[in-house]
Amino acid sequence: MERNILGYRCSKCERMHYPNRARCSACGNIDFTTEPLPKNGVLLTYTVLYNLPPDFDVPTLTLGIVQLDGGPRITGQLRIDEPKSGMRVQGHIGVVRKDNYKTHNGMIFEAA
Amino acid sequence: MRDVFVVGVGITSFTRLEYPLIEIGAFASVRAMLDAGLDRIDHLYVANMGGGRVNNQTALGSALIDHLSLCPAGAETIENGPASGASAIKTGYMAVASGMHDVAMVTGVERMSEVNNLEATDFVATLTHPLAENIYGVTLPSLAGMFTRMYMEKYGVTSRHLAMVAIKNHQHALHNPFAHVRQQITMDGILDGPDAMTNNPFVSDPLRFFDCCPVSDGAACLILATGDVAKKLGKPLVRLSGVGQATDTHAVHEREDPTNLLAVRGAAAKAMAMAGVKPSDVSVAELHDAFTILEIVESEEVGFFKKGEGHLALERGLTKIGGQIPINTSGGLKAKGHPVGATGVGQAHELVLQLRGEAGKRQVTNAKIGLSVNFGGFGNNVVSLVFTKEG
Ligand SMILES: [Zn+2]
Repeated sequence: MERNILGYRCSKCERMHYPNRARCSACGNIDFTTEPLPKNGVLLTYTVLYNLPPDFDVPTLTLGIVQLDGGPRITGQLRIDEPKSGMRVQGHIGVVRKDNYKTHNGMIFEAA
Repeated sequence: MRDVFVVGVGITSFTRLEYPLIEIGAFASVRAMLDAGLDRIDHLYVANMGGGRVNNQTALGSALIDHLSLCPAGAETIENGPASGASAIKTGYMAVASGMHDVAMVTGVERMSEVNNLEATDFVATLTHPLAENIYGVTLPSLAGMFTRMYMEKYGVTSRHLAMVAIKNHQHALHNPFAHVRQQITMDGILDGPDAMTNNPFVSDPLRFFDCCPVSDGAACLILATGDVAKKLGKPLVRLSGVGQATDTHAVHEREDPTNLLAVRGAAAKAMAMAGVKPSDVSVAELHDAFTILEIVESEEVGFFKKGEGHLALERGLTKIGGQIPINTSGGLKAKGHPVGATGVGQAHELVLQLRGEAGKRQVTNAKIGLSVNFGGFGNNVVSLVFTKEG
């Protein structure tokens, strides 16, 4: 499991963080337990990006911020033709970027 | 702490410049020395973001101090993303105020044209969160696009309001000989007319081409000094009266209400408190409009207008030259240009000209207090400055 697709729960106050951080944002505790992120949620906002970073071989890229059910928010890629703020989405983990050094896995959302 | 004054300013055109990075920085620095009437300084702070990656050159402070034949004065480089410029001014302020140095030179410089525009955007995107944003292809325009959509849906800002910012700032830039884009644009040309979609395509929906600043090369320089030095030199007295800085979460999605720019609010409040002024005292402001939406939202967060009403003030013309609080008289990042590390120094340069009464056709009548907001990251590290005309 890659570090960027796990939730980090404070072992003291139980606050959930995504991404990870060195100290809890609520209580300052430094111990966390990891858990898989929820996969479903609500789309808060999105954009269709036309000027892509050079290593993306697609004409456009749709990105969004999702409020995961009972979990943190996450930024991810959308595979949705006509996204709308407030719509239900369902996520899975897949390849989001390949550069010269590495293949990155991350959260990809489709319409629920 | 000692009072700190601006005794010299210099700038290059913000455009594509066919000179090496250090020579661009030197041009603005020499202009500022001539403006001040100084032939020595105690210390140099260079603001820059991309030297190491874009220009394959590091240790710019050492290179520039020698190119200016100012050794053995101390020198270093300050990097704080797109807020590097105001961060370096803050560092210069601390050096003079503390008594460590009497004269500090702050030069912001960037040369982005070494790479193409997509590579430049990809370079700037290295400031996003590496694990939670960057791997998805998140760039600054995409964060701005998602932010704009939330703002539109929450507060009723429209594409027309965004276009009004662009039209206003392009109009201001027509009177700035150093501006990158000196082109009058109209609502018909960029939004309403038959060719509008061709002239003004989407970059990061809902943001279009004319909502985004250009990628520029350029440099700007401020020389800061004590009151004793300033009085001897005899320039109109402009005091750096307020310096504020605040940070926010690195990943934008972690903000409790992502439509708030709390670091802008905090930095500007601190700078104004230090200067002993309130938002209604400010005569002229340079706000970091890398995207048109940011000028609207920053105008609210600094306290010129209520939250969610910046676009209404814009509609009424309150933010253009001649209005209640002229914003981005230089043309802003939108039209003056955005040489990333130099931008914060460029903003200060404009405010000093305004307070000295040297801004030509874009002069704001009776300008006494100027405020800048230099926005680093996507609002996660913001530096705000206040300048006060003395005497
Ligand atoms: Zn905790």
